[in-house]
Amino acid sequence: MNIQEIAARCSRCGYCNVCPTYRVEGWESVSPRGKIQIALSFLNGNIKIDARTVKDIFKCSVCGLCEEVCPIDLPLIDFWEELRYVMSKNGYAPLSVHKKLKEITYRYFNPYSGDQDRRDEWVNFEIKPSKTLYFAGCTASFKLQNLAKATANALNKLGIEFTIAGRNEYCCGSPFLRTGQKDIFEKLFERNLRYWERAGIERIITSCPGCYRTISRDYPRIAEEKGQEFNIEVVHTVSILERMGRFEEVEKKVKGTYHDPCHLGRHMGMYDEPRNVIRKLGIEFVEMERTKEYSLCCGAGGGLRSQFKEISFEIGKQRVLEAMETGAEYLITCCPFCEYHLSKSAEKLGNKIKVVDLVEIAEKLISP
Amino acid sequence: MDSFKMELSRSVKRYDFHPIQRMLYSQDLIRISPFLKRFIKYPVCIVQPESDEEVLATLEISRRFKIPVVPRGAATSAYGGATTLKNCMVIDFSRMNSFEIKNGCAVAESGVVWLDLEKELNKAGYALRVYPTSAPASTVGGWIAQGGYGVGSLRYGDIGKNVEWIEVADFDGVKRVKGNELKYYVGLFGTTGLILRACLKLRENREPSNYAVKCSFKESLNLIEGAYHASYMNRSLSKMVGCGDAESLLLSFEDQKSDLDFDVELGNKIWKRRFYLLKAAKNANIIFTEAVLPYETVSEFYQKVGNLAIKAIFTQDCVVMLGILPERGYYSTALKVVKFIKMAEKHGGRAYATGMLFPHKKILDEDIRDYKKAVDPENLLNPGKAMQSNAISKLIRLAEMIP
Repeated sequence: MNIQEIAARCSRCGYCNVCPTYRVEGWESVSPRGKIQIALSFLNGNIKIDARTVKDIFKCSVCGLCEEVCPIDLPLIDFWEELRYVMSKNGYAPLSVHKKLKEITYRYFNPYSGDQDRRDEWVNFEIKPSKTLYFAGCTASFKLQNLAKATANALNKLGIEFTIAGRNEYCCGSPFLRTGQKDIFEKLFERNLRYWERAGIERIITSCPGCYRTISRDYPRIAEEKGQEFNIEVVHTVSILERMGRFEEVEKKVKGTYHDPCHLGRHMGMYDEPRNVIRKLGIEFVEMERTKEYSLCCGAGGGLRSQFKEISFEIGKQRVLEAMETGAEYLITCCPFCEYHLSKSAEKLGNKIKVVDLVEIAEKLISP
Repeated sequence: MDSFKMELSRSVKRYDFHPIQRMLYSQDLIRISPFLKRFIKYPVCIVQPESDEEVLATLEISRRFKIPVVPRGAATSAYGGATTLKNCMVIDFSRMNSFEIKNGCAVAESGVVWLDLEKELNKAGYALRVYPTSAPASTVGGWIAQGGYGVGSLRYGDIGKNVEWIEVADFDGVKRVKGNELKYYVGLFGTTGLILRACLKLRENREPSNYAVKCSFKESLNLIEGAYHASYMNRSLSKMVGCGDAESLLLSFEDQKSDLDFDVELGNKIWKRRFYLLKAAKNANIIFTEAVLPYETVSEFYQKVGNLAIKAIFTQDCVVMLGILPERGYYSTALKVVKFIKMAEKHGGRAYATGMLFPHKKILDEDIRDYKKAVDPENLLNPGKAMQSNAISKLIRLAEMIP
């Protein structure tokens, strides 16, 4: 089905009212149902859209909750991404901040303006050649270097040989694919793939669900479209920890809850692995009200945080409050972007719960 | 228009005049053909009140500027109740969505979503007696305004029977309505007043025990006694919604039953999918048709329409029959919808609701028209609905004449 056909199938039942941005904004034009109707009218040539409507369409973290609740199983994640691309192709997008991030990434190969020569600044070990690559991703490389270090330590402790690409690691392109900017995404894809082929990479480990989804699902699709081969296995750190990790239990009993990152959960279907690791660590595990398929997004993805900070933080705070309601001391997640955004959201609520990445805790407790 | 806008901006916080927003708020669940769309008028603006005061202020503006209002919950009605037929203001109640538990009842504002309410009530040990099968989206005010039956109606009856009182706003202010007077509001689509909140009767929260029974429709009528909720799907519908390939009766009891030798696994599956009838639309667009039948004639009616995908919801005093029609040509399918209801009428039944489609049906009490004139002399409350004809309902009347 193309997006016009998908839009025409929408029954307007309104079950997608669970959309986190709609719940904040409250207008039909921000609801998935409303956006689908706008898209349908626009694609059929019945309406003209203006800047405000385009902004409303982009008020979405592409979390995929709408797809989960849709009674007729419309593929809405793909729909939003394609719609954003159509908006870009027709000159209605990218939105200002998304465009700026693209310009920054053209220059620095990451959206944080980080110096590409310092991408491996976090490395405190000797880099050896290997067919397995740890792809740290932009957030862990420039913003949350402890996560990159912890991941590398964990892999070392588990006896997994790996290499890193250093200045040859480029943004995976996820933020651009999610915001309809396929041009830069394809360039980043080509750069990364070229290096991986040169280095003979057969397996990629990521600690970022955004990179994980992009490299494992989007790269093969793009490669196929371009007539290229893509035979690289992609794994997320947490599945390695679950499969291979033996852990000591935490010394002091602590209570923790888990936030499902959208790109790991709804987009990739990985729900049990992180929970199994948390339990192995001896953490008293408690679920939030909305979990797994129905988990609330952290509010940062899909370009929402960069372009619509207020909405993004409102959602982030809702998620932190939901975690606090469980009585947990730790809000554990498996995504640097979620961790970063939820930490900042928790800060706004007085830091009453500590936001941590599962790898950072697990790494310390791996049995020798 | 400028003074209208100025007045509105002084009186309410959330309103919108944007053309795209107006387009979106002109429609609800009902699918309207391109030809019939000419009878739909985009609203002048949308208002999202957050308090009774803002609703009253909007009504005052409506009266002063002679601009009708169309109340809107989640727009999940298939009867066009929230469809806009005139230049009007849509009053979207979704921001009035708080509730409290008081004396064993839930006092819920109009915009509360049924399933959200049920989940919160369950945490406090309570549960709704009845809720609509569109509970994940539909709102308290929306369902009461449409009237009807849902999950739990076998034991507890229709929504009207499960409301202690409602508070409504009209041009004279806010009033509390209960008892026999509820008939002037339940099922009236906001044509006599705007529902602000409702006091809902509750029950103790008990996980229902669910059973599926493979049986004929006629047999199902002898098995439903004692159940809190019961519904029946024929074979074609069971297949369409992924609940096996046989006709099945769902029986849900408020208490655990140990003496029933029925299929628990399938029962739980159907129960879990009670909100997901729309799964029938997974592979093709469908149109629903509904009718209410007396128990005495429902088997005979079922025999006449059993070639369609059918769901029956059993209630205290009648059976709601739902027909699911694959959309093969808009008008030919619409004609089948009409025929289904005509057939029901021949068997002593009636259309499920009025809304925009069936205001000519004699569902409502005779004195309601007089009541409408008294409370809304200038016909500003959702005109062209419930008891007033409109261009689309006139076409339906014509279609009804086709043998």
